[in-house]
Amino acid sequence: MTEATGDGPRAQERGSLSNWVPLGLAAAAVAALVVGWPLVNALLPGSETVPSGEPVTVGAAGEYRASLTFPQDGWLLDTGASQAGQVYRFDRGPVQLTLNSVTPTTSPPPTAEELWDGMRRVARAGEASARLSEPEAISTEDGAEGLTGTLKSDSQQGAAVVYPSPDGRFAVEMTLAGQDATTADLAAVADVVRSVSFTREGAA
Amino acid sequence: MNHAPDDRPAPAATDRGTVPSPRRSPHTTPGPRRVPAPRPGDGGSARGRRLPALASLVLITVLCLAGLLYLALQMALPVRAFLPEALLAAALGIVTLAFGFWVLRRIRPVREPDADASVVAVAWGLFAATGAGVVANGGLGAVWAKGLGLDLAGVWGAALTAPLNEEVLKLAGIVLVAVAFPTSVRGPVDGFAIGSLVGLGFEVTENFIYSMNAVLMAGGTGGLAPVVQTAVIRVGLTGPGSHWAMSAVAGTAVGLLAAVGWRPRTRRAVCAALLVALAMALHWLLDAPLFSGVLGVLAKVAVIFATTMAVYLTVRRAYRRRVRDALGSEAEELGMRRSAAVALATRHGRRRELQRVAQPEQPAVWDRQDRMVRAAEDRAALYAGHSV
Repeated sequence: MTEATGDGPRAQERGSLSNWVPLGLAAAAVAALVVGWPLVNALLPGSETVPSGEPVTVGAAGEYRASLTFPQDGWLLDTGASQAGQVYRFDRGPVQLTLNSVTPTTSPPPTAEELWDGMRRVARAGEASARLSEPEAISTEDGAEGLTGTLKSDSQQGAAVVYPSPDGRFAVEMTLAGQDATTADLAAVADVVRSVSFTREGAA
Repeated sequence: MNHAPDDRPAPAATDRGTVPSPRRSPHTTPGPRRVPAPRPGDGGSARGRRLPALASLVLITVLCLAGLLYLALQMALPVRAFLPEALLAAALGIVTLAFGFWVLRRIRPVREPDADASVVAVAWGLFAATGAGVVANGGLGAVWAKGLGLDLAGVWGAALTAPLNEEVLKLAGIVLVAVAFPTSVRGPVDGFAIGSLVGLGFEVTENFIYSMNAVLMAGGTGGLAPVVQTAVIRVGLTGPGSHWAMSAVAGTAVGLLAAVGWRPRTRRAVCAALLVALAMALHWLLDAPLFSGVLGVLAKVAVIFATTMAVYLTVRRAYRRRVRDALGSEAEELGMRRSAAVALATRHGRRRELQRVAQPEQPAVWDRQDRMVRAAEDRAALYAGHSV
């Protein structure tokens, strides 16, 4: 970008390229990115099998990390719709298990009831007609306490669960539902929502 | 920035700010650094640029509307569910936009960039680039998750996705603005300014999306706190080395190419390609999971800001020299003192010259100053094609 002479007058002599060329290149670049990546994504296989009995880490904050262990075979992780440590989408037939690992920013951390109220609004942010019932107490197989209730919307119904981590620095929120899932489908895997466990980081 | 023929009588030249109207003259005056005046033929391709300019403007409008519609559909439910949080995020975005627009237009040497081009550049960043970015990032992010696995993609996904998608989408907007407003993007300083404005628009919309995501990631708890925290981090901490900076660097490349009618020789083409690669590298640095922690992020932001300023000061210095030379040439042609003409190259100089004349004369003097500076910039733009 220093002054130079070699490129100057000769560049002028070469004349201009039609402005259609940069216009076309710019439009092509936008189209390639907007169409190309979703297309490549659609062509790649989108799920991987999650074996039963093996814990899957789903979140961590503070001194704890959370994992989920599927009691049944047949669960698939939708990798394209998941983000490590934040959002996980698991499918088993018509049943969908959506898990959010949320990290409250306030101090002291919110109570389970406050987390449930927040989850009501988060559910409505995903589907306007989604409603959570009044919560009831629930505990994981390891004894961690949380809240559960029913999830109803125009398109699906199922269960919602929230478990705060022992130090309250994060929480695991789950919805077990599916547009085509029957009550029997959901009942067959209902115990998955109790398979969350919190492990202290550094502990064996 | 092309000017209608001046039909007013040229006032007498003086040694101060009462600048006479520019006029054309044959290049007979000898001088060490004479800048040729624009010739009729120099704007000969204007007619050929009109249709691409119109097409570019239509494309920008269509893609901005499409981006706005897509973003509105994406954000409608979160905004409805968290209305107070969304309103605060929008208000902070408007303040950021207003302040950024003022600052980034001011940093262009000599005078602010064309207002229409500036607004269109910001609109591209606000709507078209971000709307397209959400789609492209979603696709590529999922590709990384499938190809690298969730854990690795979670750590490196942003650094592997954003520099490619977002920098290209913003760059495309800078090119489209340059084609739509060919008299507004005629060199590296114009590209820098327009690029920074595209980046500013992108940053504002991205901040809004990040704020709403922060609310969701906090589980809908904490009220307005996640929005405030997002603004503090993304404006106060990383703002000085964010999208405006990276796109300013990439925009400089667009200015280099636009200056020679998009037909550069090898040296200029390589220089432009390196600037685009530099913009992507800076974006990668910011998103890479290296030097974490507040101090690490501050260090990365400092590197990005310093790099951007190095590019800015380089092109600014060259441009101001060209404009001063052009003003000097005009002074010789008009018979006025060279120093008085060269002083008009800065806003401060013009203000100072203006204050030296009586109040009633100031509007007329300001008008003449403006026309003389515009004419000098026309000459400087021609000269921009003679340097790299």
